[in-house]
Amino acid sequence: MSKPLAVVPSPPPRNWWLWGTTAILVIAMTWWSGVGIGFSLSELWCNLAGGHRLLRESWPPAFAFLPRLVRPFLETLQIAIIGTVIGGVLAVPVAVLAARNLTLGPMTWFVDRNFMNILRTLPDLFWAMLFATAVGFGPVAGALALSVFTIAVISKLFSESLESIDMAMPEAVRAAGGNWLHMVQFGALPQAISHYISYALYAFELNVRASMVLGLVGAGGIGMILETQRANFEYERVTVIILAVLVAVLIIEKLSETLRRRLA
Amino acid sequence: MNDRLLLKPQRQIGWASWTTFIVAGLFLVSVLALDLSAERLIRLPGQILEVMSFFYPADMAYGWSAVLPAIIESIQIAWVGTIIAALLSLPLALFGARTLFPRIARVVKLISATARAFPEILLAIYFVPIVGLGPFAGALAIGISSVGMLTKLGAEVVESIDMGPVEAVQAAGGSRLAALRYAVLPQVLPELVAHWLFRFELNIRASAVLGVVGAGGVGGVLLNTLRYQQFEKAAAVLVLTILVVLVIDMASGEIRRRIIRG
Amino acid sequence: MMGKQPAIEFEQARIVYPNGVVGMDGLDLAIRPGEFVVIVGSSGAGKSTLLRAVNGLNLLTDGRVRVSGQEVPDREGRQLRQLRKQVGMIFQDFRLVKRLTVMSNVLIGRLAHVPQWRAMLNLWPAADREIAYRALQRVGIEEKAWTRASQLSGGQQQRVGIARALAQEPAIILADEPVASLDPVTTHQIMRDLVRINRELGITTLVNLHFLDLAREYGQRIIGLRHGKLVYDGSADTVTDADFRDIYGRAPTADDVLEDAM
Repeated sequence: MSKPLAVVPSPPPRNWWLWGTTAILVIAMTWWSGVGIGFSLSELWCNLAGGHRLLRESWPPAFAFLPRLVRPFLETLQIAIIGTVIGGVLAVPVAVLAARNLTLGPMTWFVDRNFMNILRTLPDLFWAMLFATAVGFGPVAGALALSVFTIAVISKLFSESLESIDMAMPEAVRAAGGNWLHMVQFGALPQAISHYISYALYAFELNVRASMVLGLVGAGGIGMILETQRANFEYERVTVIILAVLVAVLIIEKLSETLRRRLA
Repeated sequence: MNDRLLLKPQRQIGWASWTTFIVAGLFLVSVLALDLSAERLIRLPGQILEVMSFFYPADMAYGWSAVLPAIIESIQIAWVGTIIAALLSLPLALFGARTLFPRIARVVKLISATARAFPEILLAIYFVPIVGLGPFAGALAIGISSVGMLTKLGAEVVESIDMGPVEAVQAAGGSRLAALRYAVLPQVLPELVAHWLFRFELNIRASAVLGVVGAGGVGGVLLNTLRYQQFEKAAAVLVLTILVVLVIDMASGEIRRRIIRG
Repeated sequence: MMGKQPAIEFEQARIVYPNGVVGMDGLDLAIRPGEFVVIVGSSGAGKSTLLRAVNGLNLLTDGRVRVSGQEVPDREGRQLRQLRKQVGMIFQDFRLVKRLTVMSNVLIGRLAHVPQWRAMLNLWPAADREIAYRALQRVGIEEKAWTRASQLSGGQQQRVGIARALAQEPAIILADEPVASLDPVTTHQIMRDLVRINRELGITTLVNLHFLDLAREYGQRIIGLRHGKLVYDGSADTVTDADFRDIYGRAPTADDVLEDAM
């Protein structure tokens, strides 16, 4: 190419300030956190030997233990079902009042929305610990904890679905002389019902997973056995429990996913 | 023709009421199995209210001195876990995309499904004996279980992209790697980062819980205060956790919105 | 250039898709260097198949195709990438990476010319940046170099597509329905650009079109395809309505002409 060099104009200055600060922040945060929690690859490497021993102790799984898991397993599923149903029902009013287009007034909306966000901040096991303290150890505490957790999960998602519905229907119900309840019941909810079912199934998946570990804090289900076996270093039994949990979670997830895809 | 028009809605109603029926049945069976006597059921709300009253006032002195450091540790666990997961899931998400690597994708998806099925806390149970009690075990547990989810979501993002530019790169003689770098990454990166941030929000909650099995963070503090019935101290845990998580949620949510828009 | 050797040569070329559809049926065709060839035919006649066989995006089932005397390899790999390096392609849907700048999109045309590590790190040699910039100048949108591709109009995006092909410094340009997504005014501008580039740089150009009047106006040589077979091959000056009737298997209608479609 013997053509004279065309002068390529340099690109406009990027927003280096933004990029630079972001990069520095991320790196600093990672450094600080890594030091704070004692992250160390060498330690991980050294301890892999210990991990080896642990794996040996965990193998072979003590399958003879399996029959004793059946009852706690059922209890776990029952907790998840109760939690999903109670939470699923209670989530509907919470979601409706938190949807900007349906709520009763700005004050109701504000209070309900904050209530919803605060519910969402606490993890499932925190609720389990609180209810275990309040009503005593056992599955009742677990079911109550998952009910609250389910409200938090479903109401947020469902209120977003409700906000995106077509408002022609609800307004038509209003115009036909219906009151607020009629409007919500006949104008709004039917439009979002398939979303609701999908969210309820999703919450059920989360609840099954959560219910497996509730027992660690004394809230019933298979986790309680897990905790006692772990405390006694019966790792061959722990393996069986974990494998069983894994299989159950995978099966339920698959079922729920198929159902959700059917509905969509 | 007319019959069909009539039949369809009817069938749907039948389907819906069956579902309700089954769900209600399962619910009743479950409730009965918990042997909740009517008497206990009536006592329940009173019990809860009574215990709630013990939580006031929150012991904020304890909050600042003991709870806040634990919350910070939880945040650090979540952050390191999220970084580990983000770094590992980026290549896995690409390999997990059926549109790019039809054969490898199946294997990657299977692995990610397995990693996802473990609740973090079960992973932590295994990591605690390996790397010792403490937050490092928690970060590893969170990292690994997040890899599963981020890989799945990331692969879905990659599968949804416009494949046109990928072919354009290949038509220009670019390698597969070049296609990933110039046609795939620019299309998916903002969404992936948004997923990472969202996962960080979830991981803070997950890491808060890990203290229960001795893997660091604020969960252990809550467990101990409740065990010794120090309700005012437990209240401080709740108040601070709620505040900190709310603030992080809001900040992260705002950043996610900007990333997706820009 | 290379004397009498054809730029592109098909020999009994045949393509059968996995679903059994025959995309190309015993094609014999030679295209001389520097020719401007327009390919016409109804949709599904095999126009795209022909273009995509030249750069190996569709691989032959039977027969052979040569580009500048070199046979197109029958599988993906280094050799095929070397061949694609000298063949630029322009697409109906532009196939730009919308989130990247115009300049980055054009540099994709240089991917096969620079070391892989440089491309991966976005460290383009000054000479390649310059080639890309000159390609933009040639289609007259150099002032948009640092704009995001998503902010351009359809006509501008197609110009970037042309610039990307030009940045390869190709011997051949394949244009697959380059104006099908554009309005009539832009259509003529883009066609004029293609003709001008063909004249100025002597790049052999193959263009798929479905508008007959465009084919007549801009083509030098017209090739007609029907059911994957060559059914017409002649000069654009002498092509008659009867020829078009043979190619399409029916009389041309208003839909086949751009001016009436306005």
